[in-house]
Amino acid sequence: MAGPRVSPWSPIWNRFREDRFAVGGGIFILLLVVIALLAPVLPIRNPNHGYYELLPANGAPLSPGGTFLLGSDPNGRDLLSRIIWGARISLFIGFVANGLALVVGVMVGALAGYLRGWFETILMRVTDIMMAFPVLLFSIAIISIIERGSVLVIVAVIALFYWTAVARIVRGQVLSLKEREFVEAGRALGGGPQHNLLHHILPHLVPIIIVYGTIGIATSISTESILSFIGIGVQAPTADWGKMVADGQDFMFVAPWLVIFPGLMILLTVLAFNLIGDGLRDALDPRARALFRGVIGGVAAGSAGLAGQRLGLDSEAEPT
Amino acid sequence: MKRVSTAAMAVLGVGTILLSACGNSVSTAEGQPVSGGTLTVSFKDDLKTLDPAIGYDTDSWSIERSIYNGLLDYKGFTTQLQPDIAAAMPVISTDGKTYTFKIRSGVKFSNGRTVTADDFKYSWERMLDPKTAGPMTGGPFWGSVHGAQDFFNGTTTSIPGFKVIDASTLEIDLDSPNQSFLNIIAMPFGSVIPKEAVSAAGSDFAHKPVGTGPFTLDKWTPGQLIVLKKNPNYFGTKPYLDEVDAQIGLAPEVAYLRVQNNQLDIAQPDLTIPSAQYIQLSSNPTWKNRILKTPNVDIYYLAMNVNMKPFDNSLVRQAFNNVVNKANLVKILNGRAVINNGIQAPPMPGYVPNYNPLGLDANGQNIQKAKDLLTQAGYNASHPFPAQDLVYTKASADSDRQAASIQQDFLQAGVTINLKGLAFNAFLDVTGKPNTTALSFNAWIQDFPDPSDFIDPILTCAAANVTANGGNVSFFCDKDADKLADQARGDVNSAERLKLYQQFQDIVVTKDFPWVPMFSTVETNVSAPRVHGYQLHPVWPFVTTSIWVTGGAPSLAPAPASASASASP
Repeated sequence: MAGPRVSPWSPIWNRFREDRFAVGGGIFILLLVVIALLAPVLPIRNPNHGYYELLPANGAPLSPGGTFLLGSDPNGRDLLSRIIWGARISLFIGFVANGLALVVGVMVGALAGYLRGWFETILMRVTDIMMAFPVLLFSIAIISIIERGSVLVIVAVIALFYWTAVARIVRGQVLSLKEREFVEAGRALGGGPQHNLLHHILPHLVPIIIVYGTIGIATSISTESILSFIGIGVQAPTADWGKMVADGQDFMFVAPWLVIFPGLMILLTVLAFNLIGDGLRDALDPRARALFRGVIGGVAAGSAGLAGQRLGLDSEAEPT
Repeated sequence: MKRVSTAAMAVLGVGTILLSACGNSVSTAEGQPVSGGTLTVSFKDDLKTLDPAIGYDTDSWSIERSIYNGLLDYKGFTTQLQPDIAAAMPVISTDGKTYTFKIRSGVKFSNGRTVTADDFKYSWERMLDPKTAGPMTGGPFWGSVHGAQDFFNGTTTSIPGFKVIDASTLEIDLDSPNQSFLNIIAMPFGSVIPKEAVSAAGSDFAHKPVGTGPFTLDKWTPGQLIVLKKNPNYFGTKPYLDEVDAQIGLAPEVAYLRVQNNQLDIAQPDLTIPSAQYIQLSSNPTWKNRILKTPNVDIYYLAMNVNMKPFDNSLVRQAFNNVVNKANLVKILNGRAVINNGIQAPPMPGYVPNYNPLGLDANGQNIQKAKDLLTQAGYNASHPFPAQDLVYTKASADSDRQAASIQQDFLQAGVTINLKGLAFNAFLDVTGKPNTTALSFNAWIQDFPDPSDFIDPILTCAAANVTANGGNVSFFCDKDADKLADQARGDVNSAERLKLYQQFQDIVVTKDFPWVPMFSTVETNVSAPRVHGYQLHPVWPFVTTSIWVTGGAPSLAPAPASASASASP
């Protein structure tokens, strides 16, 4: 991003850096991504192989710290390996599903906001209808009909339900951006809708996309965990955090680590993405941050509103 | 009890010596029985029915056994039959086809009316009537009763084989002798019910049962509670308990916690303790000694549909017989099972201990042999064995774990298995239909302690010749084996009869390979300290009459606050 001039990103990066929680979240996710990517070459056991021969005669799962660093499950599988391989599933679904949702959401929102008219009416009513569906119930129905346990179907279902929020916010943004002078200037100079959207409006949407993208990953990961927990997500023997919690449930009093470790991973990962998202939002919108922190800045206080409104960044805070 | 839904289900076993060796009853001094009090048990799901003509699962039988009686019952906690409503054991004609029963005088239904021979004829015809739509209609057990087939077909309205000689004499005529017929009569399907109560209940006798048993149904709040009260008209020795309450809707994890907190007496009496709770209880010194055990007389096996590709090739079926690590499956059940390479379960008469005609290793495997056989069958690197779905029932977490273990074993033999876990009813549906399911993880549990029960309903041509709800899920049919089964069914020489059944087993295991036999389980259960006299029955899922409770006994279980602390070993 760094150009010959001082990058517009550097003040944002500087502000982000000050947020210790966000940086902590970032480091956690970075580590997780690296470990997940390296899983096939790391010196760890096969996550799906049951080492029954290592279990005691009564089949009780092995506790952490012995043969298995994080213990084993009742099938004699290495919990550490399963958590590492489970990270691949969670991160893959988180990134891909949410990426898909973002693309669709931004497209729908931008087109609806820019073109208005019947086009907007149709798109936004579809969005409203999608938002009215009970997500979990509908996911269960769709997955049961199409194919149980297919990662791609899970990705598609999550994307299907989460593009709507992005679409609404983007539409709101585009509505206001469209009336701004620089867009009007673009129009006056003969730029068509495609040109204006791509070159004048889209760059202003980048902060929203980044923030919603990050927070959306957290939502996608937790949704995937829930689907796997209730048994319609990733199928055995594939290691998956949500499924691991579900499988460990009945052993909760005998082998609490079966639930604690994967549960903790879901918690930390979702938390980390949320912290990063929060940090990015503050970094991208210093005014909101000032309001939020109660710091008296030189910036006039706007009305403190929802995240989406605070993201209605004014041009001075934006990369142009 | 027909096909089994959970990884280990129901009571059942044989032989008192074996039972006491297994610690079937708590040996500590329990003191003198006292009368009175309420026993509280729990079930995960509501009972399907209390109609003895319909119920064919361990939940229903658990309660039915307290409400009804038949002509015969098992003596105490043994597998020996004795008269119940019958005055004596029946007189059997020398050709083994005619049974004459005298009915005990003064046996009354709980509504006060005296039981007569007519009531048995009525109850049994109702039980076999296609209109009742019970599982015995057209089934293998009662099919040899004279005239039963015409009755099933609807060409007659009565079964001439059930003959009322006088009010206290009943004669039963069979078309062909059946050595297990007395066991069949003793099944809950043979229970006697009063005609007037059936018509009074309309179509809902299942929820308004009337019988002769030690208890009567007092209340059934669907999905919540079943209350049994002592039957004042009961002809036998009165039970100690005044009341039996069955709480519905308790998951095992919750139910066993409640038992440990003295909030429940017995959790799911018809099912074995789930693996997680078993580890917890058996490693707790307080509870360890209260665990009862008895052989379950069941066989868990993989069924390969002999009519479907690729299992229409017997080399493939033979190869599969060398793959499963049965020791791992036993370990998943905490050692509460034995490896079984045959089709009969211990301690069924005719069961052959350490049966291993295929020369499998101690785990029940021979992976190299499996690979060789698959190569022989024409599968190799360029023509790999097609991935197979393993259909199983997801009734318990233990069956998920076992399916995963089986999946891993097949991977070693180069075979990809996809797990298809289904709810029990869906499982029965897809496995019982011809040409629908190629490979399934099945179990069979005894209905009665006779080896015919592990052959006639699940491995004969007749059982394969169905359009739905079949028990012969591999659709195995071998004419030679069938002849042996026919011969054995009526054979009065019991030693010779067992030999025939063993020959049958040899054909299945060493010639046709329709199954991969895997293991047979041991039933375990536990009761709260205030419960005394609780025993596991070798045939029935749950017996209430031996139990008494002592109210307000000092609590062995910790207070709720420290429950989870002491619960984790």
